[in-house]
Amino acid sequence: MALEDFAAEMDRCSQCSYCKWIPFDQMKSWRFAKNCPSISYHNFNSYSARGRYAVARSLIKGQSGYSDTVRNIAFTCLTCGSCDVSCKICRYNLEPLEMVRELKFRLVQDGQGLDAHKAVIESLNKEQNTMLQPKARRGEWADGLDVARLSSEKAEVLFHAGCRFSYDRDLQGTARAAVTLLKNAGVAVGIMGEQEMCCGGRVYSMGYRDEFTRFAQANMRAWAKAGVKTVVTSCADGYHAFKRLYPKLGSQVEVLHTVEFIARLIEEEKITFRSKVPMTVTYHDPCHLGRQGESYVPWDGVEKKIKGQIVVYEPRRPRYNGAWGVYDPPREILRSIPGVELVEMERNREYSWCCGAGGGVREAYPEFSTWTAGERIAEARATGAEALVSACPWCERNFLDAISALGEPMQVYDIVDLVQKAM
Amino acid sequence: MTLPKNVYNALEDIVGAESISDDPAVLDSYRYSLAHTAIHLGPFYDTFTPRGAAVLLPGSTEEVQAIVKLCNKYRIKFKAASTFWSAQGYPSEDDTIQLDMRRMDRVLEIDERNMFAVIEPGVIGATLQAEAMKVGLNTHIPGSGCSCSPLASATSYFGSGPSNLYGGWYYDNLLGAEWVMPTGDIFRTGSLGSGCGWFCGEGPGPSMKGVFRGFLGAKGAMGVFTKCALKLFAWPGPESLPVEGIVPAYQAALPDNFKAYTVAFPSWKAWADAAYMIWDTGIGYLAHRQYNMFGRDLKYAMVKILTDPTKTLGDLEELLEDPEVQRITEESKRDFQIVLVGMTPRDIEWQEKAFDEILARTGGWKVEAMNEPEINRWMLLYLIRLGHKNLNLVFGGGYDGCFGLLGAADFGASNAEEAAQFKKEWEKRGAIVEAGGDCMMGPIGGQGGGGTCLWENFTCFDSYDKESVEGTLEFFDACTEFGLEKGWGVGMEKWNSQNRGPDGKTTLKKERDRIHLSAPQPSMFRYQHKVREVLNPNDLGDAYYETLED
Repeated sequence: MALEDFAAEMDRCSQCSYCKWIPFDQMKSWRFAKNCPSISYHNFNSYSARGRYAVARSLIKGQSGYSDTVRNIAFTCLTCGSCDVSCKICRYNLEPLEMVRELKFRLVQDGQGLDAHKAVIESLNKEQNTMLQPKARRGEWADGLDVARLSSEKAEVLFHAGCRFSYDRDLQGTARAAVTLLKNAGVAVGIMGEQEMCCGGRVYSMGYRDEFTRFAQANMRAWAKAGVKTVVTSCADGYHAFKRLYPKLGSQVEVLHTVEFIARLIEEEKITFRSKVPMTVTYHDPCHLGRQGESYVPWDGVEKKIKGQIVVYEPRRPRYNGAWGVYDPPREILRSIPGVELVEMERNREYSWCCGAGGGVREAYPEFSTWTAGERIAEARATGAEALVSACPWCERNFLDAISALGEPMQVYDIVDLVQKAM
Repeated sequence: MTLPKNVYNALEDIVGAESISDDPAVLDSYRYSLAHTAIHLGPFYDTFTPRGAAVLLPGSTEEVQAIVKLCNKYRIKFKAASTFWSAQGYPSEDDTIQLDMRRMDRVLEIDERNMFAVIEPGVIGATLQAEAMKVGLNTHIPGSGCSCSPLASATSYFGSGPSNLYGGWYYDNLLGAEWVMPTGDIFRTGSLGSGCGWFCGEGPGPSMKGVFRGFLGAKGAMGVFTKCALKLFAWPGPESLPVEGIVPAYQAALPDNFKAYTVAFPSWKAWADAAYMIWDTGIGYLAHRQYNMFGRDLKYAMVKILTDPTKTLGDLEELLEDPEVQRITEESKRDFQIVLVGMTPRDIEWQEKAFDEILARTGGWKVEAMNEPEINRWMLLYLIRLGHKNLNLVFGGGYDGCFGLLGAADFGASNAEEAAQFKKEWEKRGAIVEAGGDCMMGPIGGQGGGGTCLWENFTCFDSYDKESVEGTLEFFDACTEFGLEKGWGVGMEKWNSQNRGPDGKTTLKKERDRIHLSAPQPSMFRYQHKVREVLNPNDLGDAYYETLED
């Protein structure tokens, strides 16, 4: 695809600003009505999806050129997809999230990438991770774990830890707990350990399509060699990459998030909770597990018109609008843990507020990233919850850092942590 | 134009570096396409409002005042807008500063006892409604939907909507206002102006509603409104809407004192009679001919799509072939939607009886398909929150309205079929969506809650398709000619033609004068010229405040 492929959408954008708000039907207060962190922070129209449609149009028509401002407009998009959900409440022929991705790809292609992202790319190319850490240490999170290493063995189920869990010492326990859970449930699971490579998802969101493709293909080769048929991960970023992006390149493995697996085990009564976890918690839907966690459906079609001027697609184009993301399994898990009381934030499920870590924003705009996380923490506090629970290490890390920076009292857990406590 | 450096710096000193920009890409995100939405002119293919000289995000009345005073000093035009949906809020000429009022977005006060809210320009209908509902109150929401600014609607443009019936047209609902005049002076109107508080738009104090607002409003051309108070009305429902369902098919099951119906009638006379009886009896919380905006032939199929999260526009043709859909489409030809809300159980019981009696007397009926629970709960939520107005553009991104037939219910009802047939013939030419001719949407009830209806005939087209846009323009020109022939006057398709022309800029004076001189009361525009001379001596607005100098 190219940015020019969105020219029709640039003209068909309603210019309604629905992309700046959660679905209006769902609004319960003035305080938690906004959905898009980038325009909520920067305020200029350009920082919204409708604004980026206009900026993209201006660029491809040669009416304006690249500048620091244009780079900021493009790269402060978290690619959280909330604009996409809101737009599609009413529109069936616009794809704002895809357009913004294409805008980023174009800037990178034209040498307009950010220095902060270039450092990540360098780490990716050299050390196969986005954490600016040595590859040799990637497998240390699993030291002592009795689990097959699929770089030399074979297994049908692979647990992919991901860059964040692999290197973030504070969070590694969650990955260990997840693998242990799978093993204890009788799953013949393996890991890639030191040979695990980045999924490529984060750099895709930064605008680096070629690098993503290279890593995706490398991962798919490694999986094929190890006989992998199912990939399980506790990282929403990786989940989205494997489930939505890899199939475009031919991947056919089943992809599950750990929460889907655990929910299934609970339903089959293969997990027993022995301890109470008396805690009031609220659950944060990670963007890439929730609204962007819908399955990929291949499509190769064209636009056509019916009734004179109604724009539709032949064959029918799949619609990704967050309707079928992974929302219920994590909630079912939390509700089944004895002692846990789950309260919902005002913005939840497909209209959740982003944690602030995605799209390369955490790396390039730390103040904005922290502010975004702070907004979510404030929303969590408004529920009266003691703890904010999620299912993605990037969300959890960003919340922890924001709590530390802002001095907010709030505990942060991964769902797996609470499951482990209860077992 | 690039703003002179000293002017840019002076503006930056007022709002801060993070709240001003003259980057071309940013400025281009503040240009509105004139192949678009309810602009009531054109449409004109690949035409945009002019690029501003700079865009500013003021955060307070003091900042707005300082900006306006600076503009007076340097004779720079300025235009303020809140949500930027429609061309009204954008500059009409080069070298104009755009004010984006987004940062001033607080609900300052909700006076529960006296039933009014004080808001800033960046507040949208949805958030005001959400806050008001917490204390058992509700706000009128303009027909453009809850994503729009109630302040902008109340102070500056029109203000009609489905809840005219009970909640009142915005002219009625506007109480005190804080106005940064075109000169930069701050003028507080109504009771606010005499220090008595916000409670009355007319006084005791300076009554200026007729001057700064009138019927249609100055559309951003006469200074900036920085605060206003709006009358609220009763909400005997839950503190927040109990929304369920899978996106986008959200629905809300409200208590038994809330009833939503789609009703239809055997003739247009019966339709009008029902409207009159509704007004006479005083029942109804809101009433609108809403879903007909998709077109007589398409509306029920569209409702089926919108209430089913697995469906898309691609399912439309198949649905239209369903005999049951065809039957219901025919049944609901002459329809409207109404929501009855009872303040008490006896109240709703009485309203229901009264409404059933109205239907019996007019031969009308409730469209049972729209009473099916999933659809009915969706409809109730839709009408109360009015958060789906982007559906105006669902088909191809372009829409505007023609005709209008604004007047007594009989007036519109008597001419609706002829207007519909005229459009139906034009639909066959292919430039606009073929929807059955009658795509007329509008409120049942106008100012004062009754008396008038508006029949905006939705015309949907593809903003990206040159032939579609130019064909739509041709159609609208034909509508104007037809309307004049019929004695209906110039319709909605031309309401703003005297403000902005085919190049996206101010209509030339010669043409403006021609239009004003052909109006029923040209002296109104002569009077407004005098008003502008006094209140806006440096002429820093644009022609959306309509004047005639002859």
